[in-house]
Amino acid sequence: MLNSINSRAIVPVACAVTGFVIACCVLLYTFVKDDLIKGEIQHAADLSDTIIKSTRYAMLHDDRETLSNIISSIGEQNLVEHVRIFNKKGLIMFSPDSEELNQFIDKSAAGCTECHAGPEPKPSLGTMAKARQYTNSDGNDVLAITAPFYNEPECSNAACHFHEAGQSLLGTLDIGVSQDPLKQTLGQLQNRMIMFSGMVLILTVGAVCSLLYRQVFLPIKQLADFTEESSGDSLGDEFPEVSGEIARLANAFQKMTKRVRELEHRLLHEESEASPPDTLP
Amino acid sequence: MSQLGPHADVQQVPGRDDLKQRLEARIQRLERAAGNGLWSMVLFLVISFFAFDGFAILPDLSDDVRRMLGKPPPGEMISLALVVYAFSCIVRTLARMSHNIKPYAGLMHAAFFTAFYTFYQLSGVLQDNFWAVFFAGLSVMGLDNYYLWAHSNHALSKERALLESMRRGGEEEGEVKQAGTGAKKGGR
Repeated sequence: MLNSINSRAIVPVACAVTGFVIACCVLLYTFVKDDLIKGEIQHAADLSDTIIKSTRYAMLHDDRETLSNIISSIGEQNLVEHVRIFNKKGLIMFSPDSEELNQFIDKSAAGCTECHAGPEPKPSLGTMAKARQYTNSDGNDVLAITAPFYNEPECSNAACHFHEAGQSLLGTLDIGVSQDPLKQTLGQLQNRMIMFSGMVLILTVGAVCSLLYRQVFLPIKQLADFTEESSGDSLGDEFPEVSGEIARLANAFQKMTKRVRELEHRLLHEESEASPPDTLP
Repeated sequence: MSQLGPHADVQQVPGRDDLKQRLEARIQRLERAAGNGLWSMVLFLVISFFAFDGFAILPDLSDDVRRMLGKPPPGEMISLALVVYAFSCIVRTLARMSHNIKPYAGLMHAAFFTAFYTFYQLSGVLQDNFWAVFFAGLSVMGLDNYYLWAHSNHALSKERALLESMRRGGEEEGEVKQAGTGAKKGGR
């Protein structure tokens, strides 16, 4: 069966197109997923910058109540899993979760190791390096960003509370946002890509196969049957319903068969005329 | 009447046995070649099985080894290389098929797709890209193996037909010679 012209023409094309389309779809999904995650990280980084800028005035005036209110309000947002500000020593100063206030953060914890991996902490990080993804205790996927509060002249010169000018880092904001919307989007994207890939495969492989079958293989099969019948005693009156090159081929074969038959008849006739008639004793 | 077998008087044409042996050897070689593609496919599937869980069977690379290897290539570059490789392999095999050129029968594809798994693993993105490598490998090697199988089968049928015709020719020649010697004996 695999040696037939159908399978020799269809199997390789179907195999190549199907495998390549699936591989490309998987890669495309991975590219889109990476781009979406990068966009989400950028979004979270922008959010952390907004928070840092929003809290700047309250920090300069050492207005801890306002700062606490801002952090609590941010923490009430649906998609915000956690938000906290801790000082240089790692002591959590502000958080909507009262249980984690005045707790120390471990420097070896995720999110801290990017800067504190070596003996000397890194002074700054790129946007992507500030981000980390993890699953929290509730089983939710979280994208967290740590953004530092750097020392500025206004901070070290402020009259209310004093930071040394040589101190580069004053504290860190840590905010985690839920990845549920991203997961939902990726799930929809996956389903749509599977659907479209299936449609593309059905259209390309299915349409090519059916067209090849209807336009090429079936007429060839009819022609083969016709020639097999014609090579016998009968000439094959039922001429196959074919068109184009295959019809020309069928016509040519039919003419050739007729000609061969005529020659055979003529030869037989000549032989019968040439042989002496039987004489009765 | 002679007591010997029917082919006792057959005088073989010089080189016919040699040709027959060569044909039989070629048939054996073709039969082996038709199965060779399957081995590379099996190797690829076994490697894919281990790659599915991120080569958990292998020990983790130490920091020193990682430092020695250098920074892994970005996932996008590996994916681009994978697409280019798979595409060019498919085009090459289809071109070979259309021009009826001898198919490739080796482990090169299995080695290349293993390299893709390894690079993805070193870049830490194997989980996301596993199915891409798997389906690309399956289509490239499936196509190659199909062509190898079809080509070998076609060649095998030709060789077998040739061998059969040689055997028939030998038998007919033997019969003719036997009939000739019989006629001579009868004539005496």
